[in-house]
Amino acid sequence: MEQNRYLPKNKKYRWMLESGAPPSGSLYRDAWQALKKDRAAMIGLVVIVALAALSILLPMILGLDPEAIESRRVVDGKNLFPPFAPDLANIMGTDQLGRDIFTRVLYGIRVSLLVGVVARGLTMIVGIVLGVAAAYFGGWVDMVIMRLTDVFLAFPVMLLAMVITLVMGPSLFTVCLALVVVGWPDVTRLLRGQALALKEKEYVKASRALGASHFWIITRQLLPGCLSLIIVSFSMGIPGAIMYESGLSFFGFGIRPPTPSLGNMIADARGYMTICPWYILYPGLMLIIIVVAFNILGDGLNDALDPYARKRK
Amino acid sequence: MPRYIVRRLLALIPVILGLTLVIFLLVNVIPGDTARLIAGEYADEATVEQIRTTMGLDKPILVQYGNYLLDLVQGDLGRSYQTHRPVLEEILTVFPKTIQLAVTTEVISIVVGLFLGMSAAVRRGSLFDRGITMFGVLGLSIPQFWFALILQLVLAVKFGWLPPSGYQGGFDIYIILPAITLGIPSAGMMARISRSAFLEVLPQNYIRTARAKGLQEKSVIWKHALKNALIPVLSLVGTDMSRLLTGTMIVESVFSWPGIGKYGYDALFYKDMPALQATVLVLAVSICLVNLAVDVLYAAADPRVRYH
Repeated sequence: MEQNRYLPKNKKYRWMLESGAPPSGSLYRDAWQALKKDRAAMIGLVVIVALAALSILLPMILGLDPEAIESRRVVDGKNLFPPFAPDLANIMGTDQLGRDIFTRVLYGIRVSLLVGVVARGLTMIVGIVLGVAAAYFGGWVDMVIMRLTDVFLAFPVMLLAMVITLVMGPSLFTVCLALVVVGWPDVTRLLRGQALALKEKEYVKASRALGASHFWIITRQLLPGCLSLIIVSFSMGIPGAIMYESGLSFFGFGIRPPTPSLGNMIADARGYMTICPWYILYPGLMLIIIVVAFNILGDGLNDALDPYARKRK
Repeated sequence: MPRYIVRRLLALIPVILGLTLVIFLLVNVIPGDTARLIAGEYADEATVEQIRTTMGLDKPILVQYGNYLLDLVQGDLGRSYQTHRPVLEEILTVFPKTIQLAVTTEVISIVVGLFLGMSAAVRRGSLFDRGITMFGVLGLSIPQFWFALILQLVLAVKFGWLPPSGYQGGFDIYIILPAITLGIPSAGMMARISRSAFLEVLPQNYIRTARAKGLQEKSVIWKHALKNALIPVLSLVGTDMSRLLTGTMIVESVFSWPGIGKYGYDALFYKDMPALQATVLVLAVSICLVNLAVDVLYAAADPRVRYH
């Protein structure tokens, strides 16, 4: 252990001692190492991957149909009508029409994950393009983009998203679009700040002096420098997107029934709260699990990718 | 400082202009014939046409926008299509109820969140600390409409402890359920931020000095640490306050709280354009004003911050 004398005694850095060498390689390899040691973040990651796999594979393997209706059930010669309480056949019970809630929750998870990743991804693209453009070109481009972010940041988010889905007609696509419209200003500001700082670095100035094109500088020097920020902002924004989608669907401005989404299931269950409380319980719990998983993964990524945050812990 | 405030207020004007333009265009592409909506389903074509002309709905959209701005400058937000009353009057009755709910929630969240965050930071790494961290994450992750319904189901319907919904003038048992629903994420966030603010402050030299000169731990925490940890908390209060003012729509419609969120939702539902435009405008302006207030307070709390 003699050669490890100079290594930190901090618990968080125990892995350095174990590997017998100081951290080497890139920021991203270090970050991945740190993330792997972050138990909460890894649980989040595993939950997300597991939910994605389950929601895609289970309905395919078992041939589950979210709209299949069990209109009555005969028990001991008696006719029973839905909703049926949770049992072995329907582990989350059925709704008032006799549709299996577990199946519908699985389909709802698909929608949530899809909207979360796609809407946030599109938001990031718009935010990155505008933010980097504002920082790099400055002048009136910067002025116009920043005034636009001012305007959009002042909007009440939910109301704006509702108006947009109302105008375009509620669907998966318009929900994503609405989320991009309400989400881009934050990302733009974030990216602009980072890109402004990078733009003043010597190596960027050197490239410009050597005659590198705008496109080359932006794609080879500015964007890679912003990558940690992009990863963190992407992952931290997913839970918000999922929450807004479910909120919009709850109010009838998002995914429309009969397509199940966790939000519109809760809206449907609202009328039957006292008759079958399990109907409102499970979609909500699932929503919480998904959002918590993304939140703790986002926190973990934030800590792992920020060398200062890593030291502070 | 007064110059700074005036400059910020002036900078609001283009933002508000942009806002009105965006919301005007959006509202005008909402499908549905406004004149037909006002005239009613069974009105004949001539009546609808007449309404269209008197309201200027047959003019080009930019002219309509110009007229809207002219009215706006004179303090006229239009008349509601639904109730035929001036929108400004209606907003003035609903907005205070939202402010009442938001401020009540915010005050309780600050006290609870700050206290929890502080206690967690002092007992760093303990079970309590981990519980608070969990609470912070969970508070942010609970969908409000679901939580509102569950509270209603359990506390109002099942046990009958609290009224399920309604409004009876304000600070009574009717405010409890909406305030809890709105306050859980706020308190969670507050606990999180104040915990990390305290962790940042506690290892500082002036805290060590305070301890070294023999101060009691209580006064070290409550006097020296608290004051310095308040700065990040303050900026959170700003963002949280605008979230509360504009994010009450869900809670207000579940608990039938007659505030601006429910008003906006109803306006959207009935395609009541003047009411919708006014709601968005009023909320947006209040977001801007809250942000300004926070920046001003920031300078007051932290002498290192200077504005020019």
